[in-house]
Amino acid sequence: MISIIYFSLFASIAMGCGLYLLIAKHPLYGALALIGNMISLAGIYSLLSAPFLGVVQILTYAGAIMMLVVFVIMVLNTAHDHEVPRFDWRGVYLVPVPAALALLLLALVYFNSPVADATALRGTAQNISQFMFDTSRTDNGYWILFEFIGLLLLGAMVSAVLIAKKRLSTHKEDV
Amino acid sequence: MIDQIIQMTLNLDMPQMSVLEWIITLGKFAFVFIPLAFIVVMIFMERKGASLIQDRLGPNRSALPVFGGLRFFGFVHNFTDGIKLFTKETFIPTYAHKVWYVVAPGIGFLVAFLTPAVIPWFAPLTWWTGDHISQVSGMIIDSDTGILLMFALSSLSIYGTAMSAWASNSKYALLGGMRATAMMISYEVSMGLSLMGIFLLAGSFNLQHIVAWQEAHVWGIFVQPVAFFVFLTSMIAETGRAPFDVAESESEIVAGYHLEYSAMRFGLFYMGEYAHIVIASIIIATLFLGGYAIPFVSTDLLRAHVDIALALCLGGLGTMIGGFHLMVRRWKKVYATMGAKDAGTRNREYSFLQFTSGVASPVVLALAVAVFFLLNPMAATTVDGTPIFPAWVSIAAAAVQVVVLIAKAFLFCWIWIWVRWTLPRFRYDQVMSLGWKILLNLALVNLVVTAIIAKLVTGVR
Repeated sequence: MISIIYFSLFASIAMGCGLYLLIAKHPLYGALALIGNMISLAGIYSLLSAPFLGVVQILTYAGAIMMLVVFVIMVLNTAHDHEVPRFDWRGVYLVPVPAALALLLLALVYFNSPVADATALRGTAQNISQFMFDTSRTDNGYWILFEFIGLLLLGAMVSAVLIAKKRLSTHKEDV
Repeated sequence: MIDQIIQMTLNLDMPQMSVLEWIITLGKFAFVFIPLAFIVVMIFMERKGASLIQDRLGPNRSALPVFGGLRFFGFVHNFTDGIKLFTKETFIPTYAHKVWYVVAPGIGFLVAFLTPAVIPWFAPLTWWTGDHISQVSGMIIDSDTGILLMFALSSLSIYGTAMSAWASNSKYALLGGMRATAMMISYEVSMGLSLMGIFLLAGSFNLQHIVAWQEAHVWGIFVQPVAFFVFLTSMIAETGRAPFDVAESESEIVAGYHLEYSAMRFGLFYMGEYAHIVIASIIIATLFLGGYAIPFVSTDLLRAHVDIALALCLGGLGTMIGGFHLMVRRWKKVYATMGAKDAGTRNREYSFLQFTSGVASPVVLALAVAVFFLLNPMAATTVDGTPIFPAWVSIAAAAVQVVVLIAKAFLFCWIWIWVRWTLPRFRYDQVMSLGWKILLNLALVNLVVTAIIAKLVTGVR
């Protein structure tokens, strides 16, 4: 009962924020709506007995990544922002994609409804760490994938720094 | 009983709890007001600390009009400040964004109310009710995500700064807000990474487990000195206090993000800063100074001798009041020989303080002696190898532990003030290079070294 109340609350906030993100006039309001969406999603994760996932959602997405987005919007904030049309007809061509995705999900749930124990804890910090880093498991573990993703992100970061540095140095040479 | 009522009216799935458990579980929510209570003391401490470091007297004019002007050493100044902030005009600039201008200052302040929920204020209470052991955690939210939740909430508080800066529609404010944002992003990384070492050792994000680990082994500051340094520095940067107050440096960008704010809206920023310091102090005390734990005294030992602990607390308080009494007596003598114009009024004030402390000190000391002789923690019943005490023993021990935690937090509050009035402001590029080039690398190296040593020593983790 109480979880249904909370779910409808979070879901309606998430839907409202998502809609506002699409129709917001100023990019900053869109970003703030996205933050609201992410926070309510974190609430839904916690309701699905995955508190760690919810907290990480707020910490990385709402806290860090969206902060960067807001920062960039503020840096690039120009007077022309208000001239961006609120609705673009070309956007209509993209509507089938999310519609198809939603239909696919609905069909999946209808024909093959997932059975899960609602009371079991799935996404706690301990569960996730055991699931990902237990090297003694014989079935498919995730720790080597995790290492690969870590390497990939490190490479991306190093190349980003390199590109930024290069631009700075050429700028100096120009001057 | 309460749970039955709630279950009948709302048809909720509530755990079965006794009345005492309900009272404590709901009463724990009062801890969210501790940062607020601290703010009043912190502003007073800041003024007095500044005057101590700058070799001046500090606030000494505001006085209650009784007993020849009771000043309480400048404490009354806080209340006159509050009256000023509440009665000034709440001004909104013409081209400001009205909604965000009004809402934004509240965000940071709201977070200050939420973060105390993850702090363990006392060891989990355990007592025997009829047929089972009742257990109440010392945190409001007892989740294994623990301190990550606090980081998540405090990372949201920067939106208050950023949005207030943006909504003011002022270039200085926007510059300040962007500096605050950039600093927050930079220092959050090293703040999180520096704690990984202690999470690794304690094996949990839950602050209760971390304190229990420190209680059983050694304080975090001794096993993780580098992490302590990095975390303290990042926390000072996060609160945006000098020497890291580039976001509001008056010599460069007037007043930064709160430039356009007046009256209590400015007051919210001002108080939010102190609330942030208090939360940070309590977190550092919990992570590195053993939290509520008393050195060399385990929770079970404290509960077994809770009468002695309470008597020592009260005795310490009585001795402090007695020392204050002697101090006032000496001031009075010195003031009489100075031949000041207002000797009469000051004499009346000092006489009042001397009288009240002279009465309070013996009363509190007598109370301490009474507690020592009259209270007597009943012998514990041992259940599954752990001693279980009556409910009042657990609660009394919890009260002592809250006092211990707050005393440790005050130590760090003082460090914040000390640092602010000692170091000059860093330049913006210095702040950035300290964050990215020194603290982040120190935190990473600390994590690797801790992991290797932990592997060698414990062998399993």
